[in-house]
Amino acid sequence: MKRIFVDEERCLGCRSCEIACAIKHSSSHKLEKAIQEQPLPISRIRVRKDEENAIPLQCRHCPEPCCVYACIAGGIRKDEKTGLVVFEEKKCVRCYSCVMVCPFAAIKLGEEEQPAVKCDLCQEEEIPPCVRACPTGALFFGQAEEFQELMEKRKKRGKKNALLNIG
Amino acid sequence: MHYLILGNCAAGLNGIEGIRSIDKKGEITLISAEPYPAYARCLITNFLIGTHSEEDLYLREKDFYQKNGVKVLQGKKAVKIFPQEKKVEIDDGKKIPYDALLIATGASPKTLRVKGEEKEGVFGFRTLEDARQIAKRAEKAEKALVFGGGLIGLKAGYALKKKGLAVEVIVKSPRILSRVVEENSSRLIARWLQEKGIKIRTGLAPREILGDKEMKGVILDNGEEVKAQIAIVGKGVSPNLSFAEESGINIHWGIVVDNYLRTNFQEIFAAGDVAETKDLVTGEHTINALWLAAQEQGRTAGINMAGGEKVYPGSIGANAAEFFGLPFISMGCVQARNGEIIKEKKAEKKFVYRRLVFKDGRLTGAVLVGEVEAAGIYMALIRKKDRVENLADELLEGWVDYGKFEKILEGKKGFRETITPDGRLIKLP
Ligand SMILES: Cc1cc2nc3c(=O)[nH]c(=O)nc-3n(C[C@H](O)[C@H](O)[C@H](O)COP(=O)(O)OP(=O)(O)OC[C@H]3O[C@@H](n4cnc5c(N)ncnc54)[C@H](O)[C@@H]3O)c2cc1C
Repeated sequence: MKRIFVDEERCLGCRSCEIACAIKHSSSHKLEKAIQEQPLPISRIRVRKDEENAIPLQCRHCPEPCCVYACIAGGIRKDEKTGLVVFEEKKCVRCYSCVMVCPFAAIKLGEEEQPAVKCDLCQEEEIPPCVRACPTGALFFGQAEEFQELMEKRKKRGKKNALLNIG
Repeated sequence: MHYLILGNCAAGLNGIEGIRSIDKKGEITLISAEPYPAYARCLITNFLIGTHSEEDLYLREKDFYQKNGVKVLQGKKAVKIFPQEKKVEIDDGKKIPYDALLIATGASPKTLRVKGEEKEGVFGFRTLEDARQIAKRAEKAEKALVFGGGLIGLKAGYALKKKGLAVEVIVKSPRILSRVVEENSSRLIARWLQEKGIKIRTGLAPREILGDKEMKGVILDNGEEVKAQIAIVGKGVSPNLSFAEESGINIHWGIVVDNYLRTNFQEIFAAGDVAETKDLVTGEHTINALWLAAQEQGRTAGINMAGGEKVYPGSIGANAAEFFGLPFISMGCVQARNGEIIKEKKAEKKFVYRRLVFKDGRLTGAVLVGEVEAAGIYMALIRKKDRVENLADELLEGWVDYGKFEKILEGKKGFRETITPDGRLIKLP
């Protein structure tokens, strides 16, 4: 299946992906309106950053997802056809059981009545907006082998110029 | 091949799916004591509050059983197992033969054992029917008592508070959630619940339930009389296994199973609240009566019944809940008993607390109150049993910075790997 992969050497921690994701998951789909929405739209991708490093984290759509077993509402399933780990948000009762087991801390809970959310890989988009928004090519959307190839190409080109050789 | 499954909730349902992941053809018969399709037992709280209907609780599509070729004996109970004959007797007298048997009969609430317990208005909190009866009675009740300070009792109390009743929790031990979290978290959660209007009284227990046919109140063991129309008994659960008692199946706390969820009989398996498995953290045999464990065990047992060879790594005591907007999560060992090292971080005013427990350089437990988003990272570390002593302080800050986390996961760059429920690291396909 197509997934989002990360070349973390290229991540600057600019959070463009977070903004793009939040807009995509807003009701208006427009930045200027999205920031006024109540509740505020939540980004499903999360950039972790310290002095030296940064990396965007999001649902891996694991082959054997821990969250599916944990959900007490039966609201999470692994779709055998698409490979997606699907959250049925309307079933969420905010028990935090999925948060308890996700090794990537990829699940977020917003204010009060909001359901738990995570990356849905933006099925209706050709390329997820977070990937499109990344200015350095740190995010990649495709098959594992394609990403592998890309990484090998990039490695050959050398680390130093990574940010100058986008794509 | 004829598979027989006793019990139709988390463990039984996943048993069916486990079998079908390998054997699409074998016959499956399911004996279900409750008269519904499998439902989300934990959500009877939401049913009681009134936000969920019965159908909202159903765990699978209507045609699930039919699609999976499962013959369901609804409203029937297993009464005796005959392992030598490979048969199970059910309550209408019939004996059903099996080639492989899954015992997934769960557990039932313990009783109070005080005078007057049989009066109307005294409830356990386990089934949809319990919730329905409580909801009915709550319509004309003003006050409810909860006996016991465990999660189930608190959930029932929380639901009744949400319905507008006065709620008083009566606990014999000095604090609530004594088997789920340690003292600091317990105190914080209790304070939060009290601020939201749930009264908590410790060091007390009921001596007698008062009233005629219906309960009107209770006498406590200090002689005090308290008026109430509803009492919830939250004293924990005991496994449903009376039908196995004379069968020769190994029973200790629950039905004892090995790493494959198999009992001492080759073709008999057990999973869920009825099964006693190895605890992943302590290594001791115990029942972790939890949804997550029941689902994982059910699935694993199903696979093994159908000839697969899936090892169950052991269960882990882990709870997550939210009351009035305050989340908390606890997992593994939460106390220092045997040379464990405790690291903690407090912000009492903000209702935030974090505790990590280390043993021999490994993370063996965690409790998080208020800010819980990184909990899964701790869970992964506990399951993988990696040495993390050099990361203790950073872990306590709430997150392991990714680079180090990645090393812990032994993952290659770019997060091309992930970890499975049983703690294995695998490549993303
Ligand atoms: C209100 C509430 C909230 C909860 N919240 C959480 C939570 O947040 N997280 C968590 O991890 N766990 C929670 N739990 C616990 C969780 O529900 C159980 O661990 C889980 O349901 C166990 O599943 P099981 O299939 O083993 O057994 P059960 O759910 O008990 O199901 C067993 C089924 O077998 C049937 N049965 C019994 N005897 C027989 C027989 N002789 N023949 C045929 N059928 C029989 C029973 O009627 C029942 O339908 C909660 C429980 C309750 C009641």
